[in-house]
This record gives sequence, structure tokens and C-alpha cells, in this order.
Amino acid sequence: MSSIRFDAVNKTFGGGQIKALEDIDLDIADKEFMAIVGPSGCGKTTCLRLAAGFEFPSSGRVLVGNSEVTQPGPDRAVVFQQFALFPWKTVAENIELGLRNKNVPRAERRARVAEAVGMIGLDGYEGAYPHQLSGGMQQRVAIARAYVLDPQVLLMDEPFGALDAQTRVVMQEELVRLARRNPRTVLFITHGVEEAVYLADRVAIMTRRPGRIKEIVDVKSVREADHWEKCARIEDVMDRESFIHLRTHIWRSLREEKNGAEH
Amino acid sequence: MPLRRRSVIGLTTLALLAALWFLATSVTGMISPGRFPTPGDTWTAAVQASVRGYGDATLLIHVLQSLKLVALGFAVSILVGVPLGLLMGTSLTAEALLNPVFMLLRPIPPLAWIPLAILWFGLGDTAKIMVIFFAAFVPSVINTHAGVRQIDRPLIEAARMLGTPRWRFIGEVVVPGAAPMIFTGLRLSLQASWTTLVAAELVGALAGLGHLLNLAQQDLYPGMILVGMIAVAIFGALTTALLGAVERRTVTWVRTAGEPA
Amino acid sequence: MIGTLDPARRLMLGAIGLVGFLGLWALVAASGLVGKAFLPGPLDVAARLVALLHTSFAGGTLLVHLGSSLQRFTAGYALAALVGVPLGLLMGRFRLLDDIVSPIFDALRFIAPIAWVPFAALWFGTGFGGPVLIIFSGAFPPCLLNAYRGARQVDARYIEAAEMLGTPSHRLILEVLLPASVPSIVAGLRIGAGLGWQSLVGAELIVASTGVGYMMVQAQSGVSTATVMVGMVAIGLVGVLIDVALRTVEARIHRRLGRA
Repeated sequence: MSSIRFDAVNKTFGGGQIKALEDIDLDIADKEFMAIVGPSGCGKTTCLRLAAGFEFPSSGRVLVGNSEVTQPGPDRAVVFQQFALFPWKTVAENIELGLRNKNVPRAERRARVAEAVGMIGLDGYEGAYPHQLSGGMQQRVAIARAYVLDPQVLLMDEPFGALDAQTRVVMQEELVRLARRNPRTVLFITHGVEEAVYLADRVAIMTRRPGRIKEIVDVKSVREADHWEKCARIEDVMDRESFIHLRTHIWRSLREEKNGAEH
Repeated sequence: MPLRRRSVIGLTTLALLAALWFLATSVTGMISPGRFPTPGDTWTAAVQASVRGYGDATLLIHVLQSLKLVALGFAVSILVGVPLGLLMGTSLTAEALLNPVFMLLRPIPPLAWIPLAILWFGLGDTAKIMVIFFAAFVPSVINTHAGVRQIDRPLIEAARMLGTPRWRFIGEVVVPGAAPMIFTGLRLSLQASWTTLVAAELVGALAGLGHLLNLAQQDLYPGMILVGMIAVAIFGALTTALLGAVERRTVTWVRTAGEPA
Repeated sequence: MIGTLDPARRLMLGAIGLVGFLGLWALVAASGLVGKAFLPGPLDVAARLVALLHTSFAGGTLLVHLGSSLQRFTAGYALAALVGVPLGLLMGRFRLLDDIVSPIFDALRFIAPIAWVPFAALWFGTGFGGPVLIIFSGAFPPCLLNAYRGARQVDARYIEAAEMLGTPSHRLILEVLLPASVPSIVAGLRIGAGLGWQSLVGAELIVASTGVGYMMVQAQSGVSTATVMVGMVAIGLVGVLIDVALRTVEARIHRRLGRA
């Protein structure tokens, strides 16, 4: 019921000068985790911004649930690449703002914020300001701020791009745990192929500009057939034949795009 | 350690300068007392102004008069300027409508309003407040406006994504986001308030530090001129320090300089 | 902040704003609510501006007054730049000089330029020297501060590289510090010009017997509001011209240095 649907979407910038997206048709099912990968500048972030309601298609429609996206809102929580935490609000205040906007009563707010803080393992940091936290901790707060709204749809724009490699791995594992416990419809933008394969049910590969959907790879059936969920850690998953096969397939597909760009 | 070295050298310099002043005026008379006062003259003038008064009032009265006008003019200009800057920053229509008018008025230096203010309101307090207003209002508007414009776009999008209603958006996102720039504007406004007040009082006034300076100039009384200048500097510095203290208590979240954004 | 307006709409709103402002002014002036002597309309001011181009007021036409203002400005501003920029660079290079000058500078900085007027008049008279000192005291701080900051912000590696190559001090200042801090210096020169021009107007209001400021004070005591407003317009216009000229220089320098 909260699927995301891109219906023949075109997007141009600069008064039609720059073609960012061309004929995007993409269906993301309810509670499905969809990752989009593509060369930089291919318009994958634009897809997310269209779903979020920060931008609007030049032609075609973007539907969430069954209604067209007309503005941003807490039903489609966004996790930004640069975290976008309010520097003047504490961890708890950042997480609480969306609930206040929804007029959730104070007692319930407090309980939900406490729960969210516990979920991301930041107990004791409720009163800290973002600049007092490490990058990984800030990103966890940003994720909690989105999760606490209990949104039908989560939009994540390279959420781990700004983190160092070790923190990123920890966050990826955490996200998988969260997504299993509390599945949501997720649109996840990344340029990390391994990250996409590890996290997503399906991976959409985009061409370089003007961005089109080149191919959609089904990860979920492979994952379930090969029982990735039995692996506790990301490196165990990455060791599996099936994972390597998918990753290499996507790599190759992307590589063609990059080589194409050089000619 | 480097800080200590700095302050030792600084204090030494200032002490040497004071000694040089004493030497050049009182001891050798190299600088004639008609051009620059001796430390003794200055002390006498300060005592005279404080105890017996100069220009129909004691120094304290002059100081209070100037402080009162600076406070009033500054308050009026930021009460108008900051909200106007917020409006121009948050509403494209308001910005497009008001910006050209602003561009038209902005090049007129604050001090150039003085004759008009005297023409309209005479030598009393109203004219001074009007001049301070015109001088101090501009930096508040410009910096508030720029501050709102400089708020990180993702922060604004995050607020919209969270469904923040307009007034909460302005109160909890726009104002704190622009706060460092707003304070920059306030500091400039305060400086402009002092400058224009002193100038306006020099042009014509019945009391105040500028009036004292003006009389001292006409009486060719260098000691009193120096007393007036020192008083202007001290109270200018004190009010600036007060504003700085308010800023430090208000904007507590800003990372220390040098840390990456 | 959220999105942009399309240019046509923006232009139209801007025009409405300007016309509204001038219209309101004209309306209040024409209504007689305020005596015409105290609030002439925009057209009266424009007419007065044209008239002042060829008729004399307070000892000269508008252009004569502007000329003597600009003469003072040029002298005071040049002095501020010629003293401020080298001193700032030297302070940025030599810590001892920095430690000596900074406290004096900090102590003097709190004195508003305009508060120097009495001493300026006493020392250098009210004709030329006095106002020049006031412009100097207005324009000097940004000239010095920006050169100082520019020199301090120069990448330490450049200095180390120059020192490693055995560059003597004067050459290091002229060939490393100066070029590297040019953008900051030019910005300071621009700010200084604005402040200097403002201070000049203030000085002329108080002490002077020519210049636009003097013309305005004379008009004020003669209750010629239109002349006062012409003075404001002229000061604003010249201020803008000075700023535009320096901005052009700044842009050209930035382009030469490859930082658009």
C-alpha cells in the first residue's frame, strides 16, 4: 500500500537544457528495499528528490501509495548524505521534532524518542549536540530521526557516503538488522555496488546522463536461496559465491557505462 | 605561553606609549599642550567633567544621555531590521519586492541622513534616534537576510521533510540557523549606532558625549577632547562586549573555528 | 530560500516595489500632510539636482562640491592604503611587530573615526588636512586588517618553500606574501573605500567649508530640504561608483589569479 512508482518520468534542468532523467519507469513494492546504483551525475539522487517531493518531474508522475507526490512530508522520511542534523538541537530534540510536528502528545514523544535512542545505541547522548558526536553517531541520529516517525517510506541518499570504511560496515549491518526487524519501503541511493547488493532486495542500475534505468537485478531470490541471513557479518556474506557473482555482474554493467563516458 | 608573551609585549608597549606621552608633553614640551593635552591636563579635565560638569552637565549625565539614545536607536533598528531580514530571507515575493528599494537606499551613508533628520526633528532625541535607526537598521537587515540565505539547504529540506509548520520553521530552523550572521549584523548595527550618534551630537545637540566633544573643540580644550574620546571608546567597547556575552550565551552550539563543517 | 522565482516575475515585483516606494513618497509630498519645504517629492529633488549642476549653492555647483570632496577622499584614502597595507603585511610576517602594534591598534579601534573630528580640526585645520585625517581613520583599519589577515593566512608551505630556497625577507614579502594575500588586500581596500567615503561625509558635516557634506549642512540651516536630498543622492551615487570601480579591479585580479 505504500509502494513507490515512477511512471514515465522525465526531468530536465536549466530550462530544458540539461536532461537529467529520461523515461524512468520503476516500481518499488510495499516493504521492498530498492537500491539505485549508477555513475556519478546520472541522476540517481534526483530520483530520490522526486520521491521526497523536493523536486517535481518535468513530465510523467511519481506516485507514493496511490497518490502523486506534491510536497515533502513525514510519511516519506529522508536520510540525507550529509546527515542534515540541526546543529542547534540536541540529539533528543533532533529526533523529537518530527513527532512534535505530528502533534504527538509529550509523554508518548518521550517514550518513542527514548526507544529510538536505544535502537541506535546512543543512550546517554540525548543531550549532546551534533558537533560533539562522531560522523557515525551523527548518521545514526539521522536514521533514528527518520525511523521514529514510523514512516511508510524511507528515502536514503548515500547515507553512508560520508563515513569512514569501518563505521560504514557497522552501519550497514545495523541497517540490515533494522530492516529485518521493521521492514519498510526503502529507496536507497548509493554508488557502492557491494553495499547495494548487501542491503537491497533489488538493485536498479542507471545509465550515465541522461539517466535511464538500464537493468534491474533481483538480489532477494539469490539471497534467500543461498541463505545469506545465516551469516552474522558482512564479510561472510561478501565471501559467498552468489554474492560475488551478483556484484561482478553489476560491476561489469556499470563499467560499460563508465567506458562509454570516456568516448 | 605564546598568549602570555603577547600580553607582556602588549602591556609593555602601552606602558611605553604612556611614558612617551608624558615625556613628549609634560617633561620636554615637544608637543605643545595646545595641540595635545598632558596627562595632567587630561586628569584635570576628567575631574572637572565628572565633578563640576562641562557643557551644562556632568560627564555621567552626558554618558547616560548618549547611552540612552544608542540603546533606543539600536533597539528600534533591530526590532525592525531583524524581522524584515527574516521576511526577505524566507519569502521570495517579499525579497523581490523589497530588495530593489533596499538597493536604492543602501548606498546612502548613515551619516548623510543627519541633516535631513535635523531638518525634520530638530536637535532633540527624536532626530538622533531617527539617524541611528537609518544607520543601524541596514546592517541588521542585510546580515539577517544573508544569514537566512546561507542556511544549509539540506537543513531546510530536512525541516520540510519532517512536516515542520511555518512558524516553528522560522522559530526553530531559520532563526537559529541565521543566528551567527544575525549577531554579526547586530554588532555592525551597534557600531553604526555609536558612530552616527557621536556624529549627530557633534553636528548639534544639547547634551551627550558628542556635544561635550563639540564644546571642547570650540573651546580649544584638548584635555576635554581626549576625555570625550576616551569615554566614547570605553562605552563603545563595553556595549560591544555586552553584545558578545549575549551571543556566547545564545549561540552555544557553534563549533569552534577551524573544525570542518 | 525555497526554490526560485522566475525572472520575469521577479523583475515585475521589483518594479512594483520601486514604483510603490517612489509613489508613496510622491503621494505624501503632494498631499500636503507634511509641508513642501520639509518633504519635496521625488520630481522636485530631481529638478533640484539638475538645477544644482549649473547654479551655485554654498559657494559652488554640485560638481564643484563633489570635486573638493573627492580630492580629500583621494588623499586620505591613498594615505590609508599606503600605510595600512604594508604595515599589515609586515605585521603578518614579523611577530614582534604584530605584538607591538596590535594592542595600540585594538585600543584605538574603539574610537569611532568621527570622534577624531575635534583633534583633526585642531591639528590640521578644517580645510583639507582635518577631513583627510578623518577619512584616513575610517579607511585605515580595514586596509591594515585585511593585509594582516591575508599575510597570516598564506599557506605555511609557501613560506617554508621560500625559506628553504634561501629567500631574503624583503623578497619573501614582495614575492610570496604580497601576491598570496592580494585577494584579501583588495577586499580590504574596497571596504576601506566605503568607510572612508562615509567618514568624509561626516567630517564635512561638522568641519569644512566646501564639499557635499558642507553643502548639505548649509541647506539644512537654510531649510532647503530638496538640496539636502540632492546631497544624499550624490553621495550615494559616488559611493556606488567607487565601489563598482573597485569591484571591477577585484574581479579582474581574481580572474588573473584564476579564482573566479
